[in-house]
Amino acid sequence: MRAAGRFWGLLLIPPALFSGGLLLLTQIVFLSASFHADEGLGVAGQAFTWENYQQVWRDPEYLQSLGLTLRLAALVVLVTLVMTWPVAYLLSRTSPRIAMVLIAAIIATSFVTLPIKTLGMVILFATDGALMRSLRALGLADAHFRFVGSFFAVAVGYTHLAISFMVTMLFSVFQAIPQRLEEAATIHGATRLRVLWRVVLPLSLPGTVSATLVLFNLLTGAFVSAVLLGGGKILTLSLLIQRSLILFNEYGMAAALAGVLLLLVLLVNIVSVVAVSRLTPAARVIA
Amino acid sequence: MSALVATDTASLPRTAARRQMRLRWGRLAAWAWLGFVFLFIYAPIIVVIGASVDPGHYVVTRAFLQFPPQGFTLHWYVNVAPALWASIFVSLKLAASVTIGAVLLGTPAALGLVRGTFPGRNLVATLFRVPLQIPFIVTGVAFLQAFYAVASVSPLRLQGSITGLFLAHLFVATPYVISAAGTALAQLSPRLDEAALSLGASRWRTFRRITLPLILPGIFGGAMFAFLVSFTDVTIALFLAPQEAITFPVWVFGSIQNDLETSLPAVSTMVFVASALIVVVLQRLVGMETVLRSGGGAKN
Repeated sequence: MRAAGRFWGLLLIPPALFSGGLLLLTQIVFLSASFHADEGLGVAGQAFTWENYQQVWRDPEYLQSLGLTLRLAALVVLVTLVMTWPVAYLLSRTSPRIAMVLIAAIIATSFVTLPIKTLGMVILFATDGALMRSLRALGLADAHFRFVGSFFAVAVGYTHLAISFMVTMLFSVFQAIPQRLEEAATIHGATRLRVLWRVVLPLSLPGTVSATLVLFNLLTGAFVSAVLLGGGKILTLSLLIQRSLILFNEYGMAAALAGVLLLLVLLVNIVSVVAVSRLTPAARVIA
Repeated sequence: MSALVATDTASLPRTAARRQMRLRWGRLAAWAWLGFVFLFIYAPIIVVIGASVDPGHYVVTRAFLQFPPQGFTLHWYVNVAPALWASIFVSLKLAASVTIGAVLLGTPAALGLVRGTFPGRNLVATLFRVPLQIPFIVTGVAFLQAFYAVASVSPLRLQGSITGLFLAHLFVATPYVISAAGTALAQLSPRLDEAALSLGASRWRTFRRITLPLILPGIFGGAMFAFLVSFTDVTIALFLAPQEAITFPVWVFGSIQNDLETSLPAVSTMVFVASALIVVVLQRLVGMETVLRSGGGAKN
């Protein structure tokens, strides 16, 4: 049996060489690029320097962008949680047949590339479109409001991509909670709300927290919606990375900004691991 | 509230009825909320389908499509821009290659991770998931710079080549197959293998006849996500896609930013219908449960 274990272990070598090799190569190259100054026209300086990172720290434009990225992600995560938590719970407690059809309907939309969904939103919120005309008639929208280029538009775009993701993630979380526990609580006289508050919420907490942090990660790096809906006015970190690389050929600066984003993601991951390991024992006691 | 119900027996039927009533209203509200969230998810796609039959109008030289459509035409379905078709074929070929590559790399990796015995197995499993943790924009930048570095020390030109893009997509797609096949493997009882081996089947025959068929649904689920990641990615492809063979998402991205291609909604509608069919087939073949376990959600 040990020999068999060694044989199976050998199978890991080719994929490990491929993924590990590419991971090391790309991360080392780009992180080391972030420690060299840009000397214009895509030429990098020879000397090792913290210059790029210092500039991120000093330049208010970069700090504002970092703040905006975090605020946007946090806001969208909150809205998404409120929107998807009840939906995922309902799906996990309805007949599996209906649930699977609805989940399949969500997965089918993920084959549609994000720019196309964005195009749909742009057409829907067009200034002379039916929706905006009726919103203006009801006095809910300003005559000067332009969808593309507004914070609102980027938030809507982010929320849209977050919702499909979160419904499927939370659905799996709720499915792992045995329904018998809720039935037991109900038999003992707990109201529906009380069951949700005292049984479902604590048991789903570890899964919800880790899904939330994965979503937060995903949103801090989101790029397509920020570009297409932000109209060059909503400058998230991902947008600055692309601009400094493609527009200004500042490879060092782009790498430093990407490094900052990576650090952010790493921090969130650490928080996630710690939080979930703290929450899990409590949940296990109840179970 | 519950204490009241337990002690006051006289009013029990009335309270129970009220409680039933509240439950019914609660359920109705929950379904209404679900309807709202699904409408939100589908709204952009419904708009695109609607716009695909809109005759369109021009303001100066810019094309505009409207929702609700101001007429009905199938013109855009018949007259698709040739460059758009070309980009779809580029994307289909790329995504198919990435899917095959991810299955060929991911399945052995899953076998090694689940069945292998070696120290630090959990750490290795975590490391294999790292490509999914890195934001795609960082992956795009990092691969582009790494390709430049490779080009400076060797004759290899991976930047702006379909091979380079293939490598980057394979890098982010493989973890989906690993986790899907790994989950399927972990649920298999090792007794099945032992039974086949003790009945005289060779190790290869056992794998081919027992293990592989049983983990195949998991592999399919992972393969779907691998395809999805490559077929829909803009962020990585924007940095790495060659000028002469632009992928469909990058083409769409450019068209929206610059000049709207009026046959775009028609093509998008066809892509959506095809994807819905694929999902229906997958559900029949392996079940949505398996697909869900394979990757949770896709990221963009």
